[in-house]
Amino acid sequence: MFKEELIEELKDIQERYEADVNRVLSKIPGAESEHVTYSGMKVKPLYTPRDMAQTDFLKDISFPGQYPFTRGVFEAGYLTRDLHIRQVTGLGTAEETNERWKFLLSQGANALSVVPDDGSGNRADSDDERVRGLVGKGGVALDTLYDYETLFDGIDMLKYPVHIITTNAFALACYLALAQRRGIDFRELRGSMSNWMRPETECLDIMEFCARDVPLFNAGYLDMRNVREGGCTAAQEIAFGVAIAMAGCNGLIERGLHIDDFLHRLTWFVNSGPEFFEEAAKFRAMRRIWARTFREDYGAKAPRSLMCRMHCQTYAPTLTLQQPFNNLIRSTIHALAAILGGVQSLHVNSFDEALAIPTEFSAALSVRTQQIIDLETGVTKVIDPLGGSYYTEWLTDRIEEEAMEIIGVIQSKGGGFKAWDWMCSEIRSAALKNQQEFDSGKKKLVGVNTLVEEDDIQMRALKTLQEHADFEALFEYSDSVADKQIARLNKVREERDNKKLEEAKGELVDAINAKQNMIPPLIDAVKSGMTRGEFALVKSQVFNMPGEGPYICSPSSVLA
Amino acid sequence: MGQKIRFLLSRDDFYHQRGYWVLAKALSDGGIEVVLGGIQTPQDTVETAIEEDVDLIGYRIMNASPRILIQILFEKMAKRGIKDVPVVVGGIVPEKDEAILRGLGVKEVFHPFTPLKTILESVKTIAAESTKRQERI
Repeated sequence: MFKEELIEELKDIQERYEADVNRVLSKIPGAESEHVTYSGMKVKPLYTPRDMAQTDFLKDISFPGQYPFTRGVFEAGYLTRDLHIRQVTGLGTAEETNERWKFLLSQGANALSVVPDDGSGNRADSDDERVRGLVGKGGVALDTLYDYETLFDGIDMLKYPVHIITTNAFALACYLALAQRRGIDFRELRGSMSNWMRPETECLDIMEFCARDVPLFNAGYLDMRNVREGGCTAAQEIAFGVAIAMAGCNGLIERGLHIDDFLHRLTWFVNSGPEFFEEAAKFRAMRRIWARTFREDYGAKAPRSLMCRMHCQTYAPTLTLQQPFNNLIRSTIHALAAILGGVQSLHVNSFDEALAIPTEFSAALSVRTQQIIDLETGVTKVIDPLGGSYYTEWLTDRIEEEAMEIIGVIQSKGGGFKAWDWMCSEIRSAALKNQQEFDSGKKKLVGVNTLVEEDDIQMRALKTLQEHADFEALFEYSDSVADKQIARLNKVREERDNKKLEEAKGELVDAINAKQNMIPPLIDAVKSGMTRGEFALVKSQVFNMPGEGPYICSPSSVLA
Repeated sequence: MGQKIRFLLSRDDFYHQRGYWVLAKALSDGGIEVVLGGIQTPQDTVETAIEEDVDLIGYRIMNASPRILIQILFEKMAKRGIKDVPVVVGGIVPEKDEAILRGLGVKEVFHPFTPLKTILESVKTIAAESTKRQERI
């Protein structure tokens, strides 16, 4: 990017400068000449053209909408494609969540997301003993198609892109059944789901069915956001995701699909953490690695296949219970990094998420955060505004380099699916180290290990709001949610035609046993009133899954 | 010092598990034998506690309602005759629930960013005071 003579000329000047700075720093007690980022990268106090001497503008950076998409997947960035303001929603029964959706839309949200209360996607019905205390908590209770009808009541499925946070084919079947009932052509239906890439029939059936019949639906998902929350680094976030995507693609190619048939329907769920520039650079590196890997290693040709698109949720591990309003500031900074990094869709964590499920009050502030960044700061008016900054480009290159090394290690361990246990142990070690750094004060966290307030005025303010405001300031779970949901479930059980349901269930089991795609018979089954617990039971029987329980694992092993 | 303290760690839900693993590793490094219960209902937690003959039960509750889960846990513990095993809870526990949990007999409730050392010391103290453990040693 720069003439060799300049790089050469800078050498002496920069060395003198660095020596000067180090001399000054050495005189100040506690001053550090090297900063270690959240992801463990050592960074200097200043970057110059010498740090990007190897970077080639056209090859490595290029233009937005052009290979390798470092500067963004769309030609005109946010100028032509609004950021999707998409807050995760899931509370109580479908009625409460529908109400929250409508509230968020009224505040200016333009995309929707729903989290069911069944994390594993293999959950028993809401009246099962084993899920007492979990119903409508940490997500919305969705047992039957009737619940999905209520959830989507008054919501235009063609207007708002909806993301369903589950790996469960049952949820997709309900979404599709509902679209059918509304007379919507599958070929026009958008949306996405957290179909985490994994070597399971259910995952691949979802991908395969959508690639062929619901072509605008983003059916594959790389949930690296939650892996990052688990403790890994920015480079690992990319590397683990790409490696898992590669393994999933191999499975679909084995089923006879071509890479360009489905790759563009694989989307990312990513994080945006506290280390501002590192995070912004991460999104740039992620797009470049995606484009290069799938063009060079998989022969993907369609530009849309090579465009790495992302939904982002800001970082939660540093949200604090102490001085809770500080979380507004943290999440705003995380959101800014995500927007400068060019994500397509964003959830900004609410300030109360370390305490409870967000209320209308706190969720609206998350929507406003995005609107203020978009409407008042000008940062969305220039595409990839950090591009060309010596530091940002250096970080982008280093993160790419580190991520590619990790992908190499994963490949040597048998690829993204086989190396999952190794990835987990890496994530957990990193998380422990991270926590120890907070405990020791090496990493600063305001309100927790520095600037601690004995009398937490922010917490007092929140409690005062809760007591005196005419709105809900802090969410409180009501035990009656389960009763309400069980009544909804019983209504379906009473009204359905059991003979028809048995037939539909038989066809579903036959299809799975015959290795046919399970989605078409599952759509019929949910229309006949099948519940999610009944589907979980079918899965545990035909796939020989351990136990018939709502949980996919209960190992009782001793940690070494 | 006698036998290592055996600590059963269970969690309520599938998605987030950072705290669960961090705590498991930290306690293990601190000399405690950690039995990983994984995602378990209160009923299963009690069965695992009996099978593994643990000194202490730790329940990570983040998504579920702490008061409902702990109520079921204590009912089941009483039924199965292990009421003397101390229980500690960690995760997202609203203040009102914390009072209820303590009222039910939970020995300690740990919130986000409780230092790992504090949890380790607390677990050791609770285990030392436990009549169940004294009988076992």
